Amino acid sequence: MTVLSMRRQRYVAHRATRRSAGAAQLFRWHYLRNVAVVTAAAALVVWTVFPFLWIFLTSLKRPPDIISAPPKFIFQPTLENYLALAIGDHAAGNASTHPDFPSFYLNTIIISTGAVALSLVTSIPAAYALARFNFRFKNSLGYIFMGFRFVPFLVFVIPLYLLYLRTGLYNTRIGLILAYQLITLPFSIWMLRSFFSEVPLEIQEAAQIDGCSWLGTLLRVILPLSMPGIAVTVILGFMFCWNAFDFPLMLAGRQTFPVTVGAIQFISYDQVLWGQMAAATIVSALPQLVLSLMVQKYIVRGLTMGAVR
Amino acid sequence: MSRRNSTMEIQAVRRRSRRGRVLPYLLLAPALVLLTGMVYPFCAGFYYSLTDYWLQFPKRFHFFWFQNYTHLFGRSLFARAATFTVGYAVAAVTVQIALGLAVALFLHGRIPGRKAIRTLVLIPLMIPPVISALMWKIMMDSTRAGILNFLLSFIGIDPVNWLGSPHEAVVSIFIIDTWVNLPFVSLILLGGLQALPTEPYEAARVDGAGAAAMLRYITLPLLRPFILLAATFRVMDSLRIFDVIYATTMGGPADETTNLSIMSFRDAFEWYQIGMGVTESIVLLAMVVVASYVLLRMWHRSAESLA
Repeated sequence: MTVLSMRRQRYVAHRATRRSAGAAQLFRWHYLRNVAVVTAAAALVVWTVFPFLWIFLTSLKRPPDIISAPPKFIFQPTLENYLALAIGDHAAGNASTHPDFPSFYLNTIIISTGAVALSLVTSIPAAYALARFNFRFKNSLGYIFMGFRFVPFLVFVIPLYLLYLRTGLYNTRIGLILAYQLITLPFSIWMLRSFFSEVPLEIQEAAQIDGCSWLGTLLRVILPLSMPGIAVTVILGFMFCWNAFDFPLMLAGRQTFPVTVGAIQFISYDQVLWGQMAAATIVSALPQLVLSLMVQKYIVRGLTMGAVR
Repeated sequence: MSRRNSTMEIQAVRRRSRRGRVLPYLLLAPALVLLTGMVYPFCAGFYYSLTDYWLQFPKRFHFFWFQNYTHLFGRSLFARAATFTVGYAVAAVTVQIALGLAVALFLHGRIPGRKAIRTLVLIPLMIPPVISALMWKIMMDSTRAGILNFLLSFIGIDPVNWLGSPHEAVVSIFIIDTWVNLPFVSLILLGGLQALPTEPYEAARVDGAGAAAMLRYITLPLLRPFILLAATFRVMDSLRIFDVIYATTMGGPADETTNLSIMSFRDAFEWYQIGMGVTESIVLLAMVVVASYVLLRMWHRSAESLA
């Protein structure tokens, strides 16, 4: 008893001395660590947010403010650039050369919606087959679909360009919707497959015992239970279509350009309309920002086609 | 009676199972039809690569086997473009994985406002890559009007000709590419970090291991599948990077940033040499296939060895 308490006393005394000796040093170390952490966090945020903020500022500037050296942080803001975008082709005097942004925007919305709808309709049964049936070539088919994610687009686009010229699909929205299937269809199949296989098998078996056919199981069990997954797939697919640049660059013409190709049109041979280009980038990035906030948790899963949960 | 019943049942089961054998293919059919529509151009493209198809004279059309390929390997621009393609992919992905790991470890730790920072870090992923490239192009103005040059002038660096001079252009493209894709890498690795088991760390702490040792001997080996997966996706995308280069330098200056995608695009759509353009993109495809095979195998093995 005495031995124990003596030991305990010695231990308490030891800790007390240690604490008093190291306290100042420890405090300084903690302080330094906190400063470092805050600095790093600030640097990270600046690195990702600053370009976007700066372009937003640029989009509010008049041409002389944009090219002023040194760059101006305080200036008279203007909405001129956005107005020029919104008015588009008609009111702008140089009608033939000015990019017609409203129609680009409309094109993007139509093409993306069409592409996502078409690939959703075809990928739901395909994903159901891959998730719930056993058949020959199942895995190889799956990997073939996956392979489309990695193929350099030019392999497809050059012959597709010739084909489209010949069949009259060149510079049409239908042609672009079909070409976008190369992006959205493999993606939707893999995403939906990974969501469908998360539905517990027991529920499906219970439904089958109750007399549901394969169609009934799909419509009454799998689809209702994976509604959130379908929503995520639709939103991400829409985002990928919105991002697409390579396909429309070669398969679309002035009448069917989406915003990504349209934004580049502000660079012409005689001048670069920096302010309007900045406004165009902001306007074309905004729907993406809103949509992606909705599916934040799933973005990585989508970009890796369901490989990372 | 009972026997008949049972044979009927067997027949019914057989019928159902036969239907069960066909059904998955039927379900896959629409998707396959859509995609085979896209496989046709691929086959046509391979055929074109064996011809001297020139869009200016589509009638003068010769089939000459692999002449495009042999001719291609003799072009000095091809050697440069192929070196740039591979070199860029290796260098960019290595640096991006290292940076992504740092960011992931940072975001995994205890930091103030972690949730908000994680959301903000996502921003580059949400913007179309071409649009990001254009944003950076505005910031990378070569004079003092460019905000980057202005900021650099505070630490005494003269204005950099970001996209206009050969070496700087490569660095600029790397910066833009990293800005666009760093969130992707760090989010995959962050997901990996969050999935790691805690027991090894407790054991190591009992053994008195320091933070560096834990990172070296526990975190990195356990994170290997995630690192390889991120590397796979990044290598594929860097090998065929096109939009960022197209929007900023178009392969210039002096062809210094010309990779195989840009070369193929220019041959096909500026010189209308369809045969040559397709040949270059098929060579690129071969590179991508080899790289993806190697990397996916490595990933598979490391994922299995841990499971």
